[in-house]
Amino acid sequence: MNIIDIQNLTKVYNTNGVPVQALNGIDLSAEQGEFSAIAGPSGSGKTTLLNIIGGLDQPTHGSVRVVDTELGGLSARDLSDMRLQKIGFIFQAYNLIPVLTAVENVEYILLLQGAGKEERRSRAEEMLREVGLGRELNRRPAELSGGQQQRIAVARAIVSEPDLVLADEPTANLDQKTGASLLDLMRELNHEKQITFIFSTHDPMVMERADRLIHLTDGKISADEHKGERSGSAGQ
Amino acid sequence: MKIFMMLGWRNIWRNKRRSLVVISSIGVGIFAMMFSMGFMNGMNMQMVENTISTSLGHIAIHEKGFQDNMKLEYSFIPDGEIISAVKGNSRVKAFTERIKVQGMVRSSEASRGVMIVGIDPETERTVSKIYDYTLKQDGSRYLSGRGDEGILISKTMADRLDLVVGDRLVIMVQDLNNEIVGAGLAVTGLYESPVDSFDKYVVFAGIEKIREITGLGKNISEINVLLKDKDDVAPVKTEFAGAMGGKNLEILTWKEMAPYLVRAVQLFDMIMFIFFTIVFITVIFSVANTLIMAIMERFHEIGVMKSIGTRPSRIFFMIIFESMNLGLVGLAGGVASGLLVIALLSWTGIDFSFWMESMKMFGTGSVIYPVIRVTDITMAVVIVLFTTLIAALYPAVKAARIKPLEALHFI
Repeated sequence: MNIIDIQNLTKVYNTNGVPVQALNGIDLSAEQGEFSAIAGPSGSGKTTLLNIIGGLDQPTHGSVRVVDTELGGLSARDLSDMRLQKIGFIFQAYNLIPVLTAVENVEYILLLQGAGKEERRSRAEEMLREVGLGRELNRRPAELSGGQQQRIAVARAIVSEPDLVLADEPTANLDQKTGASLLDLMRELNHEKQITFIFSTHDPMVMERADRLIHLTDGKISADEHKGERSGSAGQ
Repeated sequence: MKIFMMLGWRNIWRNKRRSLVVISSIGVGIFAMMFSMGFMNGMNMQMVENTISTSLGHIAIHEKGFQDNMKLEYSFIPDGEIISAVKGNSRVKAFTERIKVQGMVRSSEASRGVMIVGIDPETERTVSKIYDYTLKQDGSRYLSGRGDEGILISKTMADRLDLVVGDRLVIMVQDLNNEIVGAGLAVTGLYESPVDSFDKYVVFAGIEKIREITGLGKNISEINVLLKDKDDVAPVKTEFAGAMGGKNLEILTWKEMAPYLVRAVQLFDMIMFIFFTIVFITVIFSVANTLIMAIMERFHEIGVMKSIGTRPSRIFFMIIFESMNLGLVGLAGGVASGLLVIALLSWTGIDFSFWMESMKMFGTGSVIYPVIRVTDITMAVVIVLFTTLIAALYPAVKAARIKPLEALHFI
């Protein structure tokens, strides 16, 4: 089953009246349970592609289906609900809510989904224990290291067991050891829960561990390689 | 919604100093509002009570036309039917009969136009406070009976006429036949009321003595009634009107006899309203400015919240709660300090004796005792909640409309 289905996606930004083509005719699909990375140099369009898949940005042309929902034409509120119910986000800068504790940050998503108080507390605590933060439940983000904060962000992204997790350069602000351990964690969750992970990255370690590597160059897919093959054609 | 209330609460303490400045401005606004309200309430109440207790009473019964033209010809005989209607009303505390006639008093030094009030000293002291206002030293005393040969004048008038207790003065009035008649009376006592205009204009004598001078017979000018509760004037007036329907009488409440007093209270209320409006417009801008700054600082964070699925309406309410929290903390501080200061001052009073002349002009007395009512506190709560709500609307809408992608790029 395809979790992402993109056809002829084009994105043109208008910067100071000058049109800039960020994505140019992308065709891409991803199956459930994939652990894939979108790689490419700065300005190649990988973050734009991730934002469009996450419903944070709109395409100029083309169709984007995510978890059986065509994103084009959804209202701001529907897109918001779509992100809440189906997609988990992990950002480069962690982006936790600073006034909430670790467990409250993770609970926040469940609360928005309407889970009961006891259920969401126990699920959030369990999730944090799973990412190795069982002893930091009641600490606020500012009291934790970058690696610990990113683990909370991972816990927040997957606590509601979304179909898809989009991670924008999740290891960029972490040292190699912390980054590797975080990737192991995400890989484990991917196996255990069959959650699809899509990364945007230029970290060789992420590319190395991804099952599928999609190369973007100047807004186009220049290579699409599966592990073991590390070869293939652009698009699918 | 609980989490957004909690977020609203925690967010206000992220920049303690800034929040405390806003909370203080709300608190000071509320304190100023409560103090001014308490002061104005006290002043208004004392002004009304003093006027009622010196001359007006709660209800007066006159011959029709007397209020517009206070002449002896507008007088009536208080027959059994009228007296029993007044006496039999359970809401009446006390009543007294008076003759009122405009005239002149003259000493060897000066003369003045006055209202001469003939009273029954015994029943008068149950209705008005003229007995309490009478000085009880240096030979000054209250009138001893209905036929007392003396006259009670204010200390102000005694000074202007250059008289002391025991001196004689002449009163001159127009009798029923439009003849000018006069009599010499000794000053038996001096009084000092809190109402300047009253002191300058009113003198008291025994009712029988005035009848004798004017030839009024058994007639009187008014029956003045004091009720157990001032707020019952309207129903009692209706009951009196029902019982005395066939007679040519006018039954007037204190508000009808002193419309200027009602207008003065309304004027003070209007001044307060303008004052509060200015204070709270300032508060609105102060709160709105703080919230806009807070939102700009958290632009990225709000973007993240929206990215992970927070609906715009929930962001809107989070900002509204944040504003309400600022308001509620300021409100608690303002109300607590306001109540404390008012409680203290309502006990000690605020002494304006250094400004006595002006205070007498308002009829309030020289010491003002602030009064705060539950309705005033309720009004403060409603105004603050409303103000902070209004102040938060623009910032909240702005925050709700933040585009997550733009905000994510904003560090």
